[in-house]
Amino acid sequence: MSDASGTSSAPALIRLMKVGKSYFRGREPIEVLTDLDLEMPEGAFEALMGPSGSGKSTLLNLIAGLDSPTSGTILVSGQDLGRMSDAERAKWRSQNVGFIFQTYNLLPVLTAVENVELPLLLTSVASKERRKRALTALRIVGLEDRASHRPDQLSGGQQQRVAIARAIVTDPKIIVADEPTGDLDRVSADAILDLLVNLNQELKKTIVMVTHDQRAADRATIVRRLDKGQLT
Amino acid sequence: MNLATIAIKNTRRNLFRTVLTIFGVAVAMLAFLLLRTVLSAWLVGVEYSAKDRLATRHKITFIMTLPKRYVEDVRQVPGVTAVTWFNWFGGKLPGKEDQFFGTMAVDIKSFLDVYDEIYVPPEQKANVLADRRGAIVGASLARQFGWKVGDHITLDGTIFPGQWEFNVDGIYTATKKSIDQSSLYFHWDYLNESLPEIQREQVGWIASKVPDAGQAATVAKRIDTLFEPRDIQTLSMSERAMNTSFLGMISTLLDAMQIVSFVILLIMMLILGNTIAMGVRERTHEYGVLRAIGFMPKHLSAFVVAEATVLGLLGGALGVAIGIPLINQGVGRFMEESFTGLFPYFRVLERDVFIVMGLSVGLAVIAAIIPAYNASKLHVVDALRKFG
Repeated sequence: MSDASGTSSAPALIRLMKVGKSYFRGREPIEVLTDLDLEMPEGAFEALMGPSGSGKSTLLNLIAGLDSPTSGTILVSGQDLGRMSDAERAKWRSQNVGFIFQTYNLLPVLTAVENVELPLLLTSVASKERRKRALTALRIVGLEDRASHRPDQLSGGQQQRVAIARAIVTDPKIIVADEPTGDLDRVSADAILDLLVNLNQELKKTIVMVTHDQRAADRATIVRRLDKGQLT
Repeated sequence: MNLATIAIKNTRRNLFRTVLTIFGVAVAMLAFLLLRTVLSAWLVGVEYSAKDRLATRHKITFIMTLPKRYVEDVRQVPGVTAVTWFNWFGGKLPGKEDQFFGTMAVDIKSFLDVYDEIYVPPEQKANVLADRRGAIVGASLARQFGWKVGDHITLDGTIFPGQWEFNVDGIYTATKKSIDQSSLYFHWDYLNESLPEIQREQVGWIASKVPDAGQAATVAKRIDTLFEPRDIQTLSMSERAMNTSFLGMISTLLDAMQIVSFVILLIMMLILGNTIAMGVRERTHEYGVLRAIGFMPKHLSAFVVAEATVLGLLGGALGVAIGIPLINQGVGRFMEESFTGLFPYFRVLERDVFIVMGLSVGLAVIAAIIPAYNASKLHVVDALRKFG
C-alpha cells in the first residue's frame, strides 16, 4: 500500500483536471470539490478516505459517470465524461463501470443469478449466454450454489458477493465501491476485501473504493484522503 | 429473463397490495361489465329486431285500439306478404301479481307465420290451433312457473277483468335473441268472443311482413296513406324503429348508466395510478441503482408501464372470469325470467368482454403515464440517496 504520493508506472486510466463540483441548497451554492487534479493508474486499487462531507462520494460519482462536474475535465480511458449526454454516460457506465454499494442494492424479487444477469440485459448477449456468464461471475465470488436464492435468503456477506458478481459480469475496466464493508461484520468484511483484492490482482480490475474503515483502506494499493473538497 | 419478466416479478414485491389492487380493478371491471351487459341487453331487442316487419298502431297512442277490419285492409296493401294482429291482455297469475310477464291475444296461425323465428313443435302447434283456450308459453316462463304442456292455468285479467282459463298446449323457443321467451300468447278469438259487444273487433296493433327491409319505409307509408282519410289514422314503422322509440323513452336512464360506468372506470384508474405512484416512490433508490448500472430512463418508464399493464390485465381478466358465470348463470337468468319484457337476452356479449379487457389494459397504461414519467426523470445521484 502507498499513500496518494505513491507513484505508479502504469498509465493513468482516470484523469481529473481542475474538477469542481457544487450543489445548490436553495439558492445557496455549496462547493463540494474545488479544482481537483487527480490521476488514477490502470490496475490500481484506490481507497478514498475522509470525514463525512469531505466529497468522497461526490468524487466517486464523478469518476463513475453518475454525475457531471460543474467545472474541469474528467477523462476515463481518454473519454471526456463531462461532454457526454445523460444517455451516453448511461451506456458508458454499462460497459465500463461495475458498482458495489454499501447496502448491496439487489432487486428483492430476483434470484441471485438473475440479479447478476441484470446488467447483461442492456447488451446484445443472447439469453443462454447471459445466464452462463452470470453463473461464471457467481462462481468467481464463490456463490454458484446460491444461484437460485433470493436476496432475503442470503446473509449480508453473501448479498454483497452477489453484488460484486453483478459488478463484474460485464467485465468492466473500473469497479467503484461505496463503503462495501460498511454493513458487514468483520469476518464478512474481510472476505469481501479479499475478493476485491483478488479482482484487482487476478482480473486486473481498477478499483476505486470509498471507505471510513482503515482496515479496508489498508488493503488498497493507494489511499487518498479528502477534506473539504481537496486532496490532502 | 428479460425486461418483461422483471416487470411481472415486480408485481410480487408487495403481494398484499398487488392482490388488493387486482381485486379493486376486478370489482370495477365486473361492475362495468354488468352495466355494459344491462345496456347491451336493452339494445339487443333493437339490434336483432326484424327490419322486414312493420308495426301499425293508432296514430295518437299505442294504448288506443284499431278496428279489426284494418287487418284485411293492410293485407291488401301492395308489398305486404303476411299480416297478424295483437291485443295486449295484461294477465296476472293469481297470488303472484308482482311477477310480470307478457300476455297477448293473437291470431296464433298468422302470428307464427309473421314471427317465423318462434318455434313450436309441430304436434304442440296443431294442438293449440285446435284448442280455443289453448296458449303457447315461452320456455323461460314455463321454467319460471314450472308449467308444462297439458297444464291448465288461470290468469286474472287487468285490462279485461275476470278470471281467464287457458290450456298450455305448447312451449315455444326462439331462434333469434330479439324474441322474448317469457310471454304467453293465446287465441284472439277467445278474448274477442268473451268481451261485451261494444269492446269486440278491436286490435292493439297490426304486424305485417314485407319482402325485404328495403321496402319497409315505402310499404309503411302506403299503409298510413290508406288510412289517412278514415276516422282513425295509423302510424306504421319498422319493428326496429318501434323498439328504438321505446328506448327513446328510457334514453335518460341509459345515459345515466353510461355515465356511472365511466365514473367507475375513472375511479379504477385513479386507484391504480395511486398504487403505481406509491410503488415508484418506494423504489426510488432501486431505480437509482438501475440507472447507475446503465438502465436508461426509457427502461424505467417501461418497467412502470409494464407493471401497470400486468395489474390491469390480471384485474380485467379476473373481473371477466367472475363476471361471465355470475351474469350468465346468475343475474342474467334472474333478469331474463323476472324482467323478460325488458331483458329478453341478458348475457355477456363477446364484444363487451373485449371492451373490458381493452379498457383494463388501456386505463392501466394511462394511469401509469405520470408515475412512469416521474421515474424517467429521476436524477441518478438523488435517487441513490433516497431510501424507503
